[in-house]
Amino acid sequence: MSSILQRNIVRALFILALQLILLKRIDIGFGGFNYIHFTIYPLFLALLPYKINKTLLVLIGFVLGLFVDLFYDSPGVHAAACTFIAYARFYILILVSPAEGYSKDGLTPYNYGLVWFVSYMGIFLFVHLFCLYSIEAFSFVYFTEIILRTIFSFIASFFILTIGILIFNPKY
Amino acid sequence: MRNLIYLIIRYSAFILFVLLEVLAFTIIVKFNQSQKEIWMHSSNLLAGSLNKRVEKVEDYFDLQVQNDSLVAENARLRETIINYRVSSRNNAFQNFEQQDSLNFYELIPVLICNKTLMQRNNFLTIDKGSKHGIEVGMGVISDNGIVGIIKAVSTHFSTVLLITNSQSRISAKVNRNNLPGSLIWTNPNPRILNLADIPKHADIEIGDSISTSGYSISFPPDLYIGKISDFTVEGGGNNYNIKVRLGYEIAQLEHVYVIKYTKKEEKEEMLELENE
Repeated sequence: MSSILQRNIVRALFILALQLILLKRIDIGFGGFNYIHFTIYPLFLALLPYKINKTLLVLIGFVLGLFVDLFYDSPGVHAAACTFIAYARFYILILVSPAEGYSKDGLTPYNYGLVWFVSYMGIFLFVHLFCLYSIEAFSFVYFTEIILRTIFSFIASFFILTIGILIFNPKY
Repeated sequence: MRNLIYLIIRYSAFILFVLLEVLAFTIIVKFNQSQKEIWMHSSNLLAGSLNKRVEKVEDYFDLQVQNDSLVAENARLRETIINYRVSSRNNAFQNFEQQDSLNFYELIPVLICNKTLMQRNNFLTIDKGSKHGIEVGMGVISDNGIVGIIKAVSTHFSTVLLITNSQSRISAKVNRNNLPGSLIWTNPNPRILNLADIPKHADIEIGDSISTSGYSISFPPDLYIGKISDFTVEGGGNNYNIKVRLGYEIAQLEHVYVIKYTKKEEKEEMLELENE
């Protein structure tokens, strides 16, 4: 058990360092078109053990979001999105449940296969990004902007994220 | 009673979820209106020092480019001083000039240690704070144009509200005919700003240059901002919808200057009297 805890702490530090020091600085834009932001930190929430207490998960989501907010100068925006996705994770897991059920604790492609992981992580990240940009704009007046940001950021982030998970291929 | 406790334990995740969401939204609404400064202050303390370290390492990579631009800027400044000396020598009112007009504005050079550029609300963090004489409301400029206004100050860091922030509003004018308007930012392109409040009977053309008006206490007058790239009149509107193209790239800035206006209190008093 303690090894899972240690593993998750190390993973959190690594992902946050990558997100806040490196990826935050990369904004790709061409000709007044700045919709691409790399957002990989939700991966940490997605990879937490299957049997984790739901209350604890929501709390971790909130704290993680608040911490990211400190660096993005956006009080509460990431916190609200992370809390939501932490709570919604349970329902996403039901939605993409594999045929033999969740027999292992680690929600990784090592245990359940890459196809399952891509569909799980895809829904997870898309919902998170959509939430994030809706809350940031704070009004559906900017709907096209929200959608464009979500779609382009999703493609870019998901690409990096999948490569990362294939390189490390963690068991837990 | 026991049932109630049982219920709470059973739905604890949902209850906590709702509570935290409410809390997060309270934070968003509260801090996006007027009290963002408190948040900025605490985030400056924590994130500022880390970002400063990362920035220090990063600095080495483009040292040469930065040096070149500094040298160019120094040259230009020196040129101005020399020209000024020459012109004031021929001026009969030399003494008045030296006492009055020279010491209105002081520049504090600062280094940027964090940037948020592509969100709806964009900020900079700079490496000097109240200890170095920086106060909320001071203007920030680069060697090419205006950058933003100081939004929050801690002891060693400050946060700058960029002109590409949806909450930014800067007093500007069209140079050719001195028409005053407000410079705001509404579209996602960080190089295009909007000049609002110009009535549609006014005479403007594509290519007219825009400068600060000097009506506010943040910026001195006649600092170049950009050129008009496009303008339209919205149906039923009374004002032009003017697009202003910035003459410089905010993303590339490293060194900026905070403008300290020495007659700030005096001007503030006069503005207050005006409003009474």
